[in-house]
Amino acid sequence: MTADYLRAFETPRFAPLAPNLVAAAFPLMKLMPARYMVDRAEAAGELVAGGHIVETTSGTFGLAIAMLASVRGYRLTLLTASSLIDPKLRHRIERLGANVVAIDDPAGDGNQRGRLERLQELLQQDTDTFWPRQYDSAGNRLAYARLAEQAARSIGRIDCLVGCVGTGGSLCGTGGFLRELFPELRIVAVDTHRSMLFGQPVGRRMLRGLGNSVLPGNVRHEMVDEIHWVGALPAYAMAHALFREHGLFMGPTSGAAALVASWFARHNAEASTLVIMPDAGHRHADTVYDDAWLSALDGWPVPAPTHPIEQDRIVPGSETEWTRFLWRRRSLAAVLVAQGGRQEAGPTA
Amino acid sequence: MSSEEAQRARAGRNGGGNGSPSPTSALRVGVGRAIAHHGELLQGVFEEGDGRLHRGLITLPHPSLQSVATFWPCETGKIRTRPAHPSKAARAVALTLQHLGLPGAGGDLTIESEIPVGHGFGSSTADVVASIRAAAAAAGLTLRRSTICRLAIAAEEASDAIAYGDQPVLFAHREGRILEHFEGEFPPLVIVGFQSGSRTVDTLQLPRARYREEEIQLFRVLRGLAARAFRRQDARLIGRVATMSAIVSQRHLPKRRFPAVVAMAEEHGACGVQVAHSGTLCGIILDGSKSDVAANAAVLAAKARSGGFRGVTTFALNAEGTLPS
Repeated sequence: MTADYLRAFETPRFAPLAPNLVAAAFPLMKLMPARYMVDRAEAAGELVAGGHIVETTSGTFGLAIAMLASVRGYRLTLLTASSLIDPKLRHRIERLGANVVAIDDPAGDGNQRGRLERLQELLQQDTDTFWPRQYDSAGNRLAYARLAEQAARSIGRIDCLVGCVGTGGSLCGTGGFLRELFPELRIVAVDTHRSMLFGQPVGRRMLRGLGNSVLPGNVRHEMVDEIHWVGALPAYAMAHALFREHGLFMGPTSGAAALVASWFARHNAEASTLVIMPDAGHRHADTVYDDAWLSALDGWPVPAPTHPIEQDRIVPGSETEWTRFLWRRRSLAAVLVAQGGRQEAGPTA
Repeated sequence: MSSEEAQRARAGRNGGGNGSPSPTSALRVGVGRAIAHHGELLQGVFEEGDGRLHRGLITLPHPSLQSVATFWPCETGKIRTRPAHPSKAARAVALTLQHLGLPGAGGDLTIESEIPVGHGFGSSTADVVASIRAAAAAAGLTLRRSTICRLAIAAEEASDAIAYGDQPVLFAHREGRILEHFEGEFPPLVIVGFQSGSRTVDTLQLPRARYREEEIQLFRVLRGLAARAFRRQDARLIGRVATMSAIVSQRHLPKRRFPAVVAMAEEHGACGVQVAHSGTLCGIILDGSKSDVAANAAVLAAKARSGGFRGVTTFALNAEGTLPS
């Protein structure tokens, strides 16, 4: 076992936001699944000293695995789409020695298919290559036993878990373990408009770091009690409020999760609620926390909404809206059939 | 014994060997006691700070059942036991005397135990721990609990945490050391216990459970919840930990009629169900701070008896008041 600080770095702080609401505030949550998957691959012999890791990502999982690869001496190739990668994040990852390959993305949809094709080529070229598969590998859910353990230690009984969904790892992983402890646990998922994860048609999304244009196997719809779609602007406004009211300087997805969790906790005073906040705000200092950047946005400023718009039909909202739909632990197919048989959910990843 | 001899004994392994009086002459009659347990609240594999996994357990102490060992020094150079069979206890005494710098001291070891054998009450470990304490008392010394655990493991291969009494610990039972000292203490508990089967189990002959990755990660979460339960003396949370651990254990050493036990616990608003992971014991966990706990325990005990469960007993841990026997 290497004596790496990253084990400590992956640990969240537990921040009380209300008498019945605690946030698990991560500096960089993706370190938790990244380290877990690398540890298991090392133990299983899938990753040998000096070996090669490849993954398709345009977000913080890339940063997390680049930190691990650098500390532990692995080569790393990350496949991203030219339309998605933020130049600052890319530079940071490259400083850690990773090779970032941006695949052309003429349609602007992230070109996940093109990225996976290139990834397969890399796997065939070099048989010592390890692919963590954060979208589909069970490790991305099992890794969150650490979060469930820490939450159980610091909070005890938990009645409701609120968190964003991108790969499904954090919410379905943490929720799965917590529900073993507390079978009545309510799981509230947070997504954004025009993400396909919970049955919306795919389109351009302004809020990044949650949602998806493909469906990862780690999203377990049958676990989810209710789904909220939060537009970019309310998420930004809530991120600002977290900083002002609690000193929590978090990214915009944490704002979206906190918006939903605060509303839930206000309306369920008896429910001990945990909300997952995936990363710190520093990466967004020039955007979400910059007045000039914000003032160019249509509709800004918005006050943080106090409650969601209730939906019984799944339709995308605007970037200023926050909508809610009672999912009731159904499969995606069951919900889509009930919605009138729309079958445009797209291919699974 | 003289102060010089006591000093020599305290010097441990470095002492002794200067010839003159026999090691046995440094000893007097010593008595040691150890309590039983009622299986475990949690048993599985747990990660340490170094990332390695260790087999470990949280013992459920059963303070009202005891083993008492008495060591009578005798110039034979051998350790004889009465009753004759517990050779592990004799080995534990020899190891203890060696540890205290008195190798070759001899005597008679008597064990009087009220702990039933072979059901998961930890009778063997209680005998061993009581014997270690008796040997130490014979030398006029006390031992650290960690030392007692190490000697117990050396004497019998696997041990449990009863040397720690009613202090809650996560104990590596194959290594004889603590993985985690929990803050706080056991919540007030009342346990209605019984046998889930008639056969006895030789703990050391059981194959070691091979846990799935999902189970290993679940153990991590259960350990976290146990820590919370001890810190807050929360009977309901510790009941949940025990129930989940018992459910995992069903895959490895199934208890007959386990679903019936769980149903009985739920029907009476119990906190949960615990088992001996290498025995036949089951227990229904009640919150000892509730005013109706004694009545509830009596109803459950009667129900267990009429349901055909054998060896029904009720005992309390950290609870106030009296119980129906």
